[in-house]
Amino acid sequence: MSDLKALIEAVIKGDIKSATVETQKALDSGNNAQDILDKGLLVAMDEVGAMFSSGQLFVPQMLRSAKTMQECIKVLEPFFQEGGAISKGKVIIGTVKGDLHDIGKNLVSMMMEGSGFRMFDLGVDVSPERFVQKTQEIEPDIVAMSALLSTTMPSMRQTIEALEQAGIREKVKVMIGGAPVTEKYAREIQADCYAPDAGSAVTKAKGLLDIL
Amino acid sequence: MKPLKIPTFQPRLKVLNREQALAIHAAALEIIEKIGFKMEHRDAREMLTAAGCSVVSSDWLKMPAYLVEDALTSAPGQIVLYDQRGNKTIPLINGNPFYGTGSDATFTLDVETGQRRRVVLKDVANFARLVDGLENIAFVMSMGNPEDVPVEDIYIHVFAEMVRNTNKPIVFIADSGRDIARIYKIACRVAGGEEELRNKPFLLNYSEAISPLRFPLNVMDKLIFCAQKGVPICLPSGSNAGGGAPVTLAGALALGIAENLVGLVVHQLAGKGSPFLFGPNVSVLDMKSTVVSYGCPEWSLTQAALADMRDEIYGLPIWAYAGASDAKVMDAQAGADAMFSIISSMLSRCNLIHDVGFLEYGSTSSLEMVVMANELIAMSRFFTEGIPVNEETLALEAIERVAVGEPGSIFLMDDHTFEHFMQAQFLPALLDRSRYDSWQEAGSTDLYQRCNAEAKRILAEHQVEAKTDEVLMGIERIVQGG
Repeated sequence: MSDLKALIEAVIKGDIKSATVETQKALDSGNNAQDILDKGLLVAMDEVGAMFSSGQLFVPQMLRSAKTMQECIKVLEPFFQEGGAISKGKVIIGTVKGDLHDIGKNLVSMMMEGSGFRMFDLGVDVSPERFVQKTQEIEPDIVAMSALLSTTMPSMRQTIEALEQAGIREKVKVMIGGAPVTEKYAREIQADCYAPDAGSAVTKAKGLLDIL
Repeated sequence: MKPLKIPTFQPRLKVLNREQALAIHAAALEIIEKIGFKMEHRDAREMLTAAGCSVVSSDWLKMPAYLVEDALTSAPGQIVLYDQRGNKTIPLINGNPFYGTGSDATFTLDVETGQRRRVVLKDVANFARLVDGLENIAFVMSMGNPEDVPVEDIYIHVFAEMVRNTNKPIVFIADSGRDIARIYKIACRVAGGEEELRNKPFLLNYSEAISPLRFPLNVMDKLIFCAQKGVPICLPSGSNAGGGAPVTLAGALALGIAENLVGLVVHQLAGKGSPFLFGPNVSVLDMKSTVVSYGCPEWSLTQAALADMRDEIYGLPIWAYAGASDAKVMDAQAGADAMFSIISSMLSRCNLIHDVGFLEYGSTSSLEMVVMANELIAMSRFFTEGIPVNEETLALEAIERVAVGEPGSIFLMDDHTFEHFMQAQFLPALLDRSRYDSWQEAGSTDLYQRCNAEAKRILAEHQVEAKTDEVLMGIERIVQGG
């Protein structure tokens, strides 16, 4: 067993090359994959998240750390035990019907992935029917919807209604966000939560699933 | 023979040399020729392929550069907007700058309480009436998406509300080909008919492509509608550095211009010679908050670059922004942000300049910000006029009178001062230069408080020349779905 300090530092720096080398080293010296993930990569990402929140890191640096973690997970993947907990929860995410904007949605998706969620990105212009179908298929913990245009916001309500009609609304938490979306609107359409930006989307998603 | 008049140099900001402008243009052409773009509108695709574009796969096309050259030749180099009574008020020719408000904000700062709250239709009316009463704000936009009208008809309602509350030109938003047709009907009702509106357009549509390189169906519907009806339009994409576009400004400009050129080509194919206002919005995505900044120096720099490219290459009037801020309240940051973009957009000769009065990176509107900007625009205008140099302004006779004339002579008493001071000096209305004691006696107000009082005064006192009952009833029928 070796300590994972060098790995944690490499992930925080976003140094993909060193981080993957350190991951391999950690495996070679007898650490199991789950420990490397839990006590190395996720510890690093928590630190990255904290540094970002306190203004010490910029978004591209945080995303590079997330990318670094993903590359390390690729090294670990063959070594995970059956049913190994590599995920904090499953999330399907998409920009709602009629809306083709995806920068914000992609950012949320990447940041949530970086904090350990397993993301299923449905892309843009996602109809209520498609959200329902994918919810039935993937059985996610969270359904996340994004809209940039005021005129496409009603599709968020329609998606929640469609989840109700399909009898699966109670099985998932619904998160919404996007420039014209407000806390008040989230309450009106009975979404479980509204996140004003990508950073808070991560925090709020953890809150929804009672993850610290 | 009289000596020749000395021409007045009017300060002009340039930020690109010719080589830079040509290199960015070349990059834009390379983007549409080699990378291509996603065109989701079938009719637009058919027009483009018939004109010479090649299909890469289903809705992904590539465009040869000569189509751009054709479109730049046929698009008019000047666009003139009229007010709603048919007066020519916005000649977008050469480097003429005109300022106006913005659209689609979710919140507004309540003029009574100062609190940020959701926008309602009454706010749209208030902003329109305020602008109607402000000398230096030339056009109106809705400033907000109200929560008290049905969202599917939101742009019809705000357009009608603007028409009821101002006679200035309107830059409007529409969702698709459906609502733009009804908005157009309202506009025809105001102008007195289709032909009258085409001759003296008082409106311009603002639509957006999506960076990078995506042209949605509903957006192309609006573009083609405007091209066919001769309604002026601009089609900036949000090619913001680090967001929809590369983080470096040259690449973001090239991408935004490429998108604008594709839009221009579709537009000119659908309506040759119809007016198209050029230019993308190239701000930055803030690297901490990921908001698109409305107070950054980058946006001022890229639109100054675009003005240079207009002069070097495109010859079309351009779309721009100014007088907005990322600050959440109208504080010192709001003043600094607003002035930076107002003076630089004027010095670089941007043309139709929107977003005046926004706080919170365009999410909150403020009547007080619009009032403040009105004065900052006047201040900038004074600076941009330059220093007239002639016999009258050199004032040697006045100098002589005071210096060697009767004892006790002062310039303040001289006729030359009386005759010239109104033009020779900028006379502020809201910016405070009073002596400390009088400032204190007048309530020790800051600029925000004075702008608030002025906004309230204008809303209470300014009379907007009303449309006839017949026109208003006609508009109401269209709003209600007739």
